[in-house]
Parts: sequence; structure tokens; C-alpha cells
Amino acid sequence: MTLTASARPNPASRPSSIRRVWRQLSPYAYIAPFFSLFAAFGLFPLIYTAYVSLYRVELQTPGDMEWRGLDNYTALLADEFFWTSLRNTFTIGVLSTVPQLVMALGLAHVLNYKLRGRTFFRTAILLPYATSVAAATLVFAQLFGRDFGLINYGLGLVGISPVDWQTGTVASQIAVSTIVIWRWTGYNALIYLAGMQSIPHELYEAAEMDGASRWRQFVHVTLPGLRPTIVFTVIVSTIGATQLFGEPLLFEGSVSGGISHQYQTLGLYMYEQGWGFFHLGRAAAIAWVMFLLILALVGANALITRRHSRKEAGR
Amino acid sequence: MPTARAAKRAAFRLGAVVLAGALLAACGGSSDGASDSANGKVTITVDLFGSFGYKEAGLYAEYERLHPNVTIKQTDTEDEADYWRSLQTRLAGGAGLADVQGVEVGRIASVTQQQADKFEDLRKYGADALKGQFAEAKWAAATGRNGEVLGLGTDVGPEAMCYRTDLLKQAGLPTDREVLSKRWATWDGYLELGRQYKAKAPSKSAWLDSVGSLFSIMIGQEEERYYDDSGALIWETNPAIENAWNASIEASEAGLSAKLDQWSPQWNQAFSAGSFATLPCPAWMLGYIKGQAGETGKGKWDIAALPGGAGNWGGSYLAVPRAAKHKKEAYELIKWLTAPEQQSKIFAKQGNFPSATAAIAQIADATDPYFSGAPIGRIFGEAAEAAPVQVLGVHDQNVAQQITNALSEVERKGTKPDKAWENAKKGVKNIIG
Amino acid sequence: MTALTDPPVTHPAPERPAARGRRRSQAGRTMRGGKLAYAVLIVAVLVSAFPFYWTIVAASRSNADMAQVPPALLPGPNLMQNFEAVMEEADIGTALLNSLIVSGSITLGTVLCCTLAGFAFAKLRFRGRGALLAVTVGTMMIPPQLGVIPLFMLIAELQWVNQLQAVILPGLVSAFGVFFMRQFLVQSLPDELIEAARVDGASSARIFWSIVVPIARPGMAALGLLTFMAAWNDFFWPIVALTSSEPTVQVALRQLGGGYVNDQSVIMAGTLLSTLPVLLVFGLLGRQIVGGITQGAVKG
Repeated sequence: MTLTASARPNPASRPSSIRRVWRQLSPYAYIAPFFSLFAAFGLFPLIYTAYVSLYRVELQTPGDMEWRGLDNYTALLADEFFWTSLRNTFTIGVLSTVPQLVMALGLAHVLNYKLRGRTFFRTAILLPYATSVAAATLVFAQLFGRDFGLINYGLGLVGISPVDWQTGTVASQIAVSTIVIWRWTGYNALIYLAGMQSIPHELYEAAEMDGASRWRQFVHVTLPGLRPTIVFTVIVSTIGATQLFGEPLLFEGSVSGGISHQYQTLGLYMYEQGWGFFHLGRAAAIAWVMFLLILALVGANALITRRHSRKEAGR
Repeated sequence: MPTARAAKRAAFRLGAVVLAGALLAACGGSSDGASDSANGKVTITVDLFGSFGYKEAGLYAEYERLHPNVTIKQTDTEDEADYWRSLQTRLAGGAGLADVQGVEVGRIASVTQQQADKFEDLRKYGADALKGQFAEAKWAAATGRNGEVLGLGTDVGPEAMCYRTDLLKQAGLPTDREVLSKRWATWDGYLELGRQYKAKAPSKSAWLDSVGSLFSIMIGQEEERYYDDSGALIWETNPAIENAWNASIEASEAGLSAKLDQWSPQWNQAFSAGSFATLPCPAWMLGYIKGQAGETGKGKWDIAALPGGAGNWGGSYLAVPRAAKHKKEAYELIKWLTAPEQQSKIFAKQGNFPSATAAIAQIADATDPYFSGAPIGRIFGEAAEAAPVQVLGVHDQNVAQQITNALSEVERKGTKPDKAWENAKKGVKNIIG
Repeated sequence: MTALTDPPVTHPAPERPAARGRRRSQAGRTMRGGKLAYAVLIVAVLVSAFPFYWTIVAASRSNADMAQVPPALLPGPNLMQNFEAVMEEADIGTALLNSLIVSGSITLGTVLCCTLAGFAFAKLRFRGRGALLAVTVGTMMIPPQLGVIPLFMLIAELQWVNQLQAVILPGLVSAFGVFFMRQFLVQSLPDELIEAARVDGASSARIFWSIVVPIARPGMAALGLLTFMAAWNDFFWPIVALTSSEPTVQVALRQLGGGYVNDQSVIMAGTLLSTLPVLLVFGLLGRQIVGGITQGAVKG
């Protein structure tokens, strides 16, 4: 920061008009580093992707661009693989988000008790969050192996015949979701815990005086108090699920998400189009569809929340 | 914040130390690169897929001894499809390319027809003189429209059938390679033996690894596969493809396969578990088998002639990208690596069958103790001589991939064959369209 | 590429989730946990830790052991041998060093940029502040996949393919970080302190270095830790921009998984090596990380 050099012992000697101008401009100097990076690596790609999505561009010959208008988008409507990946994104999203958040809520509830070794428990359940998608997926791919995997071995012990976790549509989606759940449950539990700790104690005392059981306290005090936090985690998990990419890619190392695209997500389909088949224009169109989808989901979420809270306020 | 102030400060300091270390490391890293060229030393990077076997056969070490100023650094990707994707990205970006890049024969048409401007024309370095060394078709396939020489041939993939003598014995089948060659002279005979094997073999052991590999090896016996001579895509109506498809479906319905996708981790693991008794093997597969089955597999394997006659699956080239750093040195290296003497050494060690004609004569009497002393020189030599010269096309690999995927669907998901065939067609259209 | 280094869900609550202005020390329940609570937590810890344990088991055995039924459940003797194999096959040494350079630079740059911008958004008045902040927060929704194509064309144009700056520079753009630092400073930096300094005639830059930074330090540390872990684990952009000849750890892992290593135990040894540094950071500073995450949600 060269600006530090301008700090003089007697600033009053400087003409005040210059100072005023500086005072007005300096905030922009603070945000300039971020926004110049943002313009180059955030905004430009965003807009350029929209531009590319209107052309036929191949990775091998990025210089030759052929105008296609909205053809890349309309082609998606007729593209069976696109619909498959959209459906997979949705089902894997539900399979991974719902159990994840429910379990996180339960864990947070338990963590909120007075416990010996609470710091240990909190840190330990966050461990999966520290591992990379790549590492976690490689390990789980082994565990879910059809012939030599530990999970099928365990199932065999209780008399269940081996499951083909790679090929079955439902089975493979469960396997991929399991990786997501494992990595994020502890993280969400800590977010919930933080939310719970900011619920005022008096509310519980009042409920206890009314003779409410622990379960009723949870339903009538904890859950309403946590609502904004829950909304937040739902939005964030929705975004994460829509962008899901690394787990399905590394599960078998297949860009097509399994032999019959059974767990190919939108993110992976975009990658396959762009870096598997080298159709950059089509991949760009998929990327924008993803963005619009997220906007729509978050918008819908916000709308529901607002309507809900208005109803509550009107009570 | 719940934490003590001192702890925060400690965290902050640790962060600062890590960052300082990282920055120092960054500076150190860049100065290394500078000194490399300063004292006349050259590091040639080689980027390959699958198993070329140079490292295993000690050829890099030998070359480094002959050229003390040269260091060779190799990276390798098992799955060729992954390798090709990454190579395309770097070619498009014009950066990150190795000095030597391997190219599979199924991609060489893409190089000569679409990317001739991205690879060095090796005539510049006198490659013309090498033409007589190689089998004619091998040389022609890497020649561009204007006569550019875009790669030097490494190996070809004459086909045979590898099998586990111990497993066949357990199932009461013959284990002698001559007897087996006769019993499975046709594909029908091979499938029939498979049924007999299945009836008597242990429950966890199948006749072959996957029907995808059956399809691939059968297709290798054909001259016209996915494209015809004029460069038109004909695979959907090619009777040869239909024939191989039907045989694969038959094997699947008879439950003869271990349902393992080739090159998957599970396929790798299955080698040491004895999950399959036979493995259709182009010559370059021998190196895989040795690597994956390891020392414990030694002497348990043997090789017989391929059912239904000779064929060729794969084989590769070494090429030098335009964006390479040490083009001249790279050319010298690949010239040496593809010379007959080196090709013979590779064959003896790894099984990759030479594309240099002089080398074929040199290895005619070779046997391999790993494969119970099988006369690999004779078996693969005869196959190489009789194998058809294949018509190559830009999307060979992609079409093949879609078909083997579809076959996996049939055997692993129970998809109806007709539906799977339709899926393969859609898949190909999605790639090419 | 705003969200490049952020894992999908590290963003803190965009609004204060609950109980604005309530005293935290009094909040929350303090019921004592019963046996059931401990049982649930122990199960959760076991499930969290088991894959780590199993990685160690697998990494210390041989390929043949891994293909056995029943599978091995105790560590074996081959750990060092497998580590050596990893070093040879995947150049994991280079990968670790590259990851350290990339993650370190991203952390340093992000914390600096975001503290600067966060301070401006939190405490300075200027035209367009609200709109710019809204844009920043909005970009957290952009999927990282969206910008990859033009970004790749951009770095190809700059001849940066397979060079570390191709991963570092886009990684510096963290809308999450700006928002995080703004929330932190809104709360912990009293306006009066800045006013007092202004009256004393301190320049804007001086105020930043001698007043803002010391107060922002805990937030910067938390952001730095989160950024470091996210950058270390980032995967999507590095596998596009880098290749196996100049890998980060995650790229090398992908190479191991799909590479010419036929040995599952070696792959697991590589996984273990790639995870150890993050586990180390986590072991030393786990409390701060836990604090950073919860603080994002609560203080925000």
C-alpha cells in the first residue's frame, strides 16, 4: 500500500478541497482491488458465456464461431440427455439435502445440551467438511465397490445380496448423495447450533412452566426460532445441489455420469459437452440454464418465506 | 467470538508463516526453471496414456545414459479417453503441452484431418528417411493431407486370447494353448467353451471380463468398422458391427461375463481376485496383465490364438506438438524410441508389438515366462501379418465408447438390447452433432 | 468466477438469522445431555471418522488385500511403500507444493481484498454503495461452472494454461469474503473510533492500517482459514486449467484415480497424503474454524 506514505504529521496544511475530493474518492480505492478482479474473472465470464451460448464454437477451433441464435437453447429442449441430467440433479438434490438437513438439525439439538467434551464433538463432526470432494469421493467409491466394497460386504452379513452401486439408477444416486451428506451434515449442524444458541432462554423457561415436553419445546420454540437459519441452509444447499459436479464426476471417473447417464448432473453434463465433446457453445447454454434455474429456485424460496412470515405477522 | 484473543493471534501468525513459505516456494520454483536451460541440460517431458512401457523397460534410463544432458519426465493416464480430453484442452489453449504426446490409432485420423497445424511436421527433422522402417499402413495413417509426417508409429495391436490356466483346469477344461486354439477356432466355439466353464467354475469366476472387450476384439478383425473408405459413418448399418454386437449380446445373455467395465478400478482389482478366466488381449494388454495381476499371477496365464482369425486392436504414435518447448530434442527421442531395437526391447519386456518391420523379424522367437512360456513372438507375429488394414475415422474412439457403454447397460442394468442400441445411436449423435 | 474457491455452502446467513440485539451469553439452553445424547454424538463421530480410518487401512495394505472377501479391517505394513509409489507415480510432491502456493496466494489476496472492500462497505459512505453490495451478494449465486468457458478462453489467450496464476487470480474473487468482512466490521468496529481518528487528522489509509486491521484481525483469521481450506480442496477449475504436468493436489488425485496406477492401495495412500495437510490445519485450528463458521451465521 503506497497510500500509507501520504500520512503526514500535519494534514491541516493541505488544501482542504483536495482532502474533500480524496475523502469522496477513497472508498472507491478500497473496493477497487476486489471489483477489478471481479470484473475480469467474474463479470466478464458471465457475460461472455451468454455471448458464446449463441454460437457454435468448438474447443479445437475457438476462433471459428458460427452464429446460432437461440438454437443452442432450443436444442436443449429436445435433448434427452439434458432432461435426464436435470431430473438427476433434482433427485440427487432431494436425496442429499433432505436427510442432510434433518440429521443436522437433530445433531445440533443434541450438541446444544450441556456436554462433556463439547468442543471435541463439534470439531469431530466437522472433520468431513475439511476433506476435499476428490478425496472423499475416491474413498467412498471404494467403499461402494460392487465386488470388493465394504458396504456390500456389510450388507452381505445381514443377508442382503450385493448392490451394484455404480450402475443402478437409484443405487448410484444414493451412493453419490451419501458422499454429499457425509461432507456437509456436520457443517450444517454447526450452523443450526449457532442459531439455537441465539434463541433466548426465557422462551424455554416459559414453555417449561407450561409443562411442555422436550419434544414440544423443540417443535414450538426451537424450530420457529431457527426458521431464518433453516431458510438460509435450504437456499445454500439448493445452490450447492444445483451445482453438484465433483462427486458424480469422480465416483467412477466418468464424464457421462455412468454408462447410461444414471447419475449425470447438470454440472457434469455441461462439462461433458464442453470438455468431453468439445462443444463450447452448447456447454455455455447449459451453464446459463443452470444460472437461471438457481435464480428461479432462490426467488421461489424467498417468495415463500416472505408470504409465510407475512401470514405469521398477520396473526 | 468464543475464542481467546491469544489463539486468534496465533492463528493469524501461523497463516502469515504459511503464506510467506508459499511465496518463497513460488520464487524458488521459478528460479529452478531458469537454471535448467542455463547449463545446457534439457528436460524432455513425455505425456502418455495406457501402457507404453518405456519406463518399465528401462528405456528412459538408457537414453539418459546415452545423452547425459537429457532428463526425461513422463506423465501417464490410464484411460485414453481422459488423456485425449486433457490433450485437446491444452492444444486449444496452446499451452501446457509435453514435448512428446502419445496418440492412439483411433485418434490419429483426428490429428491428420483436423489438427495437422497443431503438431510438428517431422519431415523438418528428416523423418522422411525413416519411412522404410515401418509397416506401410502404419506410416500412411499418420501422414497428413499435404504429406506431413505427424507422428512416428510405436506399436500395433495384433490380437490373441489370454487365459488363466489354473482356472480352466479347475473347471475341467483343457489348458494347452494348441488344443484351445483349435477348440475356439470360431467365436461360437469360444462361447460354447464359456458355457462349459460356467457350468463347472466357482461361483465368483466368469468366462471373460466384460462383453465390451469381446466386442472390441471382434471389431479388430474387420477392415471397415465405423467409417467406410470415403469417410462416411457407416457403423449403424455395417453387418460386421451387427455381428460383433450379436455375439456380445449372446455372451451377456448366457451370463459369461464378470460385468466389469474395462479400465475401471473394479476391473483392475479383479485381476488379482481371479474374477475372469479369459481376457481378449491385444499385444499391449500383456503389460497390463503383468502390472495388475502382479508377481502372484506369474505362470498362471497363457496365450492362445484368437477365435475367428487375426485382428488388430489399437497401437499408437508418438507426436511432437507445435507448442512443445524442446522440439528437436523431442524428435531425437521419439526417433530412438521407435527404432527397431527399442521396439524389440519393449516387446520382450511389456508385450507391445513392434510396428517397425525389422523388429518383427528380431522378435520372432520370443517367449514369455510370465505367460507360461507362450511363444508370444510367433503368436502375435502371425496375427500381425494376417490382420486387416483398418479404415480409420475421426470419431472411431467415440463411437466405440458409446457401443461398449451400451453393452455394459445390457449386461449390468438388464437394458433390452434394442433399447441399448438406440441409446448408443443417440449417444453418438450427441457427440458428433 | 466469483464462487470458484467457495465450497457450495460456506456462505453465512445473508441476514441475521435470529434474535437481533439479544445478549448471546444468556441465550440458548443449558439442559444437561443424557446417555442418549452421548450415544447419538458418538455414532456421529464414528461415521464422520470412519472413512478416514478406512483410508489409513487401505493405504497401508496391498492391492491384493483390497480385493479380498472379507475385506481387511486393520492397518497393514505397506504404508511407506505405498507412499513411495505415490511419489513416483503422481509427482505428489510437486502437487503439494503447487497447492501450497495456490492456496497460500489465494488466501493472502482474498483476505486483503475482502478486508479492504468489506471495510468500505461497512463504514464508508459513497455513491452506489447499496447497489454494488447487492451485486456482490448476488454473484454468490452464480454457479462456478458458468464462467469456465470464457475464463478458459481468457487464460488461453494469455497463454496461462497449465500455469498456476490461471488458478490463483480467478480464485481471488470472493464475494463471500467481502460480505463476510463487511458483516464482521459492521458489528465490531465502532463508528466513534473512526470519527475520532478523522478528527485527529489521520488519513484514510492510516485509519485502515492502524485501526481497522487490528480490529478486523479475528475475522481475517477466520476468513483466511475458510479460504485456505476451500482453495486447497477446489477442484472444478483446476482440472480444467491445469494438467497432470503441473497439478494441484486435487488434480493429482484425479490423475491417481483415473491414472495409470492399477493399485487401489496406492490411490488411497495418495488420498491420505492429500488430506493430511488440511487435517493438520484442522487439528491445530479446529476451534477457530468452528468459530468462523458459526460466527458467519450468527454474527452476520
